[in-house]
Amino acid sequence: MAYSDKVIDHAENPRNVGTLDKDDPSVGTGLVGAPACGDVMRLQIKVSDDGVIEDAKFKTFGCGSAIASSSLATEWIKGKKVEEAEALKNVDIVNELNLPPVKIHCSVLAEDAIKSAIADYRAKQAAKR
Amino acid sequence: MTMDPFATLGAPRRFDLDLAVLEKTHRELSRALHPDKFAQAGASERRAALEKAANVNEAWRILRDPIRRAEALFRALGFAVGETNEPKASPAFLMEVMEEREALAEARAAKDLGKVQKLGGAISVRAKAVEGKLTAGFSGGAPPKDELEKLLPLLGELRFYRRFLDEVEAIEEEAREAEEALAQNGTGVSP
Repeated sequence: MAYSDKVIDHAENPRNVGTLDKDDPSVGTGLVGAPACGDVMRLQIKVSDDGVIEDAKFKTFGCGSAIASSSLATEWIKGKKVEEAEALKNVDIVNELNLPPVKIHCSVLAEDAIKSAIADYRAKQAAKR
Repeated sequence: MTMDPFATLGAPRRFDLDLAVLEKTHRELSRALHPDKFAQAGASERRAALEKAANVNEAWRILRDPIRRAEALFRALGFAVGETNEPKASPAFLMEVMEEREALAEARAAKDLGKVQKLGGAISVRAKAVEGKLTAGFSGGAPPKDELEKLLPLLGELRFYRRFLDEVEAIEEEAREAEEALAQNGTGVSP
């Protein structure tokens, strides 16, 4: 199957690969997987006191589209407010990367990863209070 | 109507199939359906035999593969599998898979083939354990719907393990190629 140039670019030069300290209260970690294909994805955000995502990292073990989707997701949410990042939809990723129908689940995985990272961050903040 | 690979090869609807028996059935059916045997037959009969032969081949490809066999079992029992029908993996399971994948990536980067094989061996053992649970789950005829639902996450687990083992294989292949290239250079036969 032919990947779009953007997918290839992100898959070959993924942005923001890495790890943030998962025990840091300002870091939210999202860990998601696709049982239908066996891909796993971890996406982490570091949120400043005023609610801005100042850093985002990911690690994905999966196909090129899954790597590209999570790479693009971290690029997009960096510098955004948590609420803005939460509004990101998988179709935005599909459109930007030109994903074919069989790879749409990769973008769904990336959206889930963002949401789950935000949920983890919020749970940590709530626990602090 | 999709083809039921169990019916096509006359196999019982269970997970632990005797693949040697199945392969023999596949071979015999393929021989009986060979186009040479239908050279004198009418066009519609020839076409039917051809279609049946294709189904027999496809059924064998499905049933010899544990993941596709499990998928076919769920489907044959009227239970949809695939992207939107399967439950999400548990966070604890995902955490483990992630850790194992990272350990594998590290071993690959360090070119530690022994470690790669050790990690692969451990995952193989776990995959076998999951297959054992599927065998037990499908051993007593068609399980009721709530039992099938409990078995479904096992299918996802098998796919995560398969991905891991594919990666192990790719690393081993890479190492073999590197070794061959080195051996060739060593004897001075490189072009």
